[in-house]
Amino acid sequence: MPLVDLHQVCHSYGHVRALDGVTLRLEPGTIGLIGNNGAGKSTLLKIMLGLIRPESGEGSLLGFPLGRTGRRLRRELGYMPEASASVPMLKGVEYVALSGDLYGMPHRDALRRAHEVLGYVGLGELRYRRLEEYSTGNLQRLKLAAALVHDPQLLLLDEPTNGLDPAGRQAMLGLLEDLIAETRKSVILCTHLLGDVERLCQHIVVLDRGTVVRSGTMESLRSDVRNRYELGWEGASEPILGALRSAGVDVWRSTPGRAMIVVPDGWPTSELFRLALREGVVINHLKADEENLERLFLRITRPTGASH
Amino acid sequence: MPIDIARYHAWEGKLGATWHGVAAMVRTGLLQVFRRKSYWVVIVMGLFQFLAFWAVIWAVTQAKELPTDAREAMLEIFGFTGTPRPGKENGYTMFIERQAVVVMILLTFTGSLLVGSDFRNNALAFYLSRSIDRRHYILGKLLTIGVLVSLLTTLPALLLFLEYGMFTSSFDYWLANWRIPLGIVFYGMVLSVVLSILLVCISCYLQRMAPIAITWASLFVLLRPLRLLMRETSIYWGLIDPWRDMHFVGRLAFDQFRSDDERYFAYWAAALLTTVCSIALVLLVRRVRAVEIVE
Repeated sequence: MPLVDLHQVCHSYGHVRALDGVTLRLEPGTIGLIGNNGAGKSTLLKIMLGLIRPESGEGSLLGFPLGRTGRRLRRELGYMPEASASVPMLKGVEYVALSGDLYGMPHRDALRRAHEVLGYVGLGELRYRRLEEYSTGNLQRLKLAAALVHDPQLLLLDEPTNGLDPAGRQAMLGLLEDLIAETRKSVILCTHLLGDVERLCQHIVVLDRGTVVRSGTMESLRSDVRNRYELGWEGASEPILGALRSAGVDVWRSTPGRAMIVVPDGWPTSELFRLALREGVVINHLKADEENLERLFLRITRPTGASH
Repeated sequence: MPIDIARYHAWEGKLGATWHGVAAMVRTGLLQVFRRKSYWVVIVMGLFQFLAFWAVIWAVTQAKELPTDAREAMLEIFGFTGTPRPGKENGYTMFIERQAVVVMILLTFTGSLLVGSDFRNNALAFYLSRSIDRRHYILGKLLTIGVLVSLLTTLPALLLFLEYGMFTSSFDYWLANWRIPLGIVFYGMVLSVVLSILLVCISCYLQRMAPIAITWASLFVLLRPLRLLMRETSIYWGLIDPWRDMHFVGRLAFDQFRSDDERYFAYWAAALLTTVCSIALVLLVRRVRAVEIVE
């Protein structure tokens, strides 16, 4: 059974199209959901949480049809909100137990389980402190414990490292890595921090203006740039760039003495040296482009019509 | 058996009905209130009043050689009548009305803690991303306030009724006045419903303690002198005092009015309170619906 199965899901707020024909099939695993502000991430999360019903289209999450089974669906999910979402005067263990109660757990089970998960996320010694006394990092861990308390099949994490200092962020990512490895739970991570997605996720979904512009593993997303190279040379630029273009090489970006090129499939890189020799320039730099997620993201969410 | 907390453990229990969440909200809300030490000053004020009534009833019922009428006359010195009499105000409704000051002060601070803070800290994202939805959230908050009001009004009034009957050493008092506890429960429900809807509505819009306190005090303190000022103009100006309206509606259950005008007034008060509460409820639902769970 797929984790997420969406077909032509659309949703609008007035005249603003938030989701425009989203079709997506995701298998269980760790999924990163990324996109610029206004890309439709929040709307997609709301639909996944069963908080809103899509205007059109259909689909399912964990086998539950979208929109009609909100409360039943949320029992199978653990949602960690981006907002602080704290309840004053409560102690850590009471907050997590309240989360269990709100999911419908018997109160004794919720309380016992709250102690367990707080120990697991490393807050065992702080569980009797009031929420007002928790640091930002510990509050994030507490929210994770509150999402885990009823042992959900799927975790929806909304900006889990938001507001953390570098050490806190590393600790949180380490905790999530351990959790994913140990429990094999499916996780959908929604964040602006692409480094977090790169570190935790097997599958990446990129949203742009309400549509899915890419969906796949990091490797598959990079595959369309496997013939891309950074090229540097000494000598005049125009002749070599002209020769490259004549040979069918796509020149992406160029500055004097530097260019990003995409060669045709099966094109040997030794041909570059032959062209350079012919045009009287010396190649001093040639490196296969290893695109990180940030550059990949910027490339695929580039506004239509923008130049390379 | 000790649990290894360094490892994750699955939970294999069954999830219950969504309404468990409402009960948990009420329990948590009461915990939040009773954990604030400063609130105990107000609660103790209410407790003192209850103990004073308790002591007076006890003292008077111990004078067994006195006839019932004489005992009632003694109670009336303290403003209390254990047995309903024509043209007299019921002692239990009087007790509840005197508790109103305590209730008002307590609710002034409670609105910000129980409701305002949820909006300020976006705790609605926490509540509503669980199995409950908006109507459960609203009901949970209304019930929490309702229980608080009942703890200070209905419950002690019922205890006083029990005490009065208990110290007369027979079931006669309880049997003869069986309508009184029903009336107390009805009056308590009127207070709980009206006050909880108004407080939750005001708190979700104003959120911070100072504006809530000013608005709340204006409703329940300033409208009273305004009524007194305007009562010469028209008797309907009497309806702008919400305490008085609730008092009259509460007395409908006892059917004890000093005049037909008062009874007539009680129906008008009921209509006004129903209208105000309906509007407040609509505004409350709209405000809660406007909250974004996913930012």
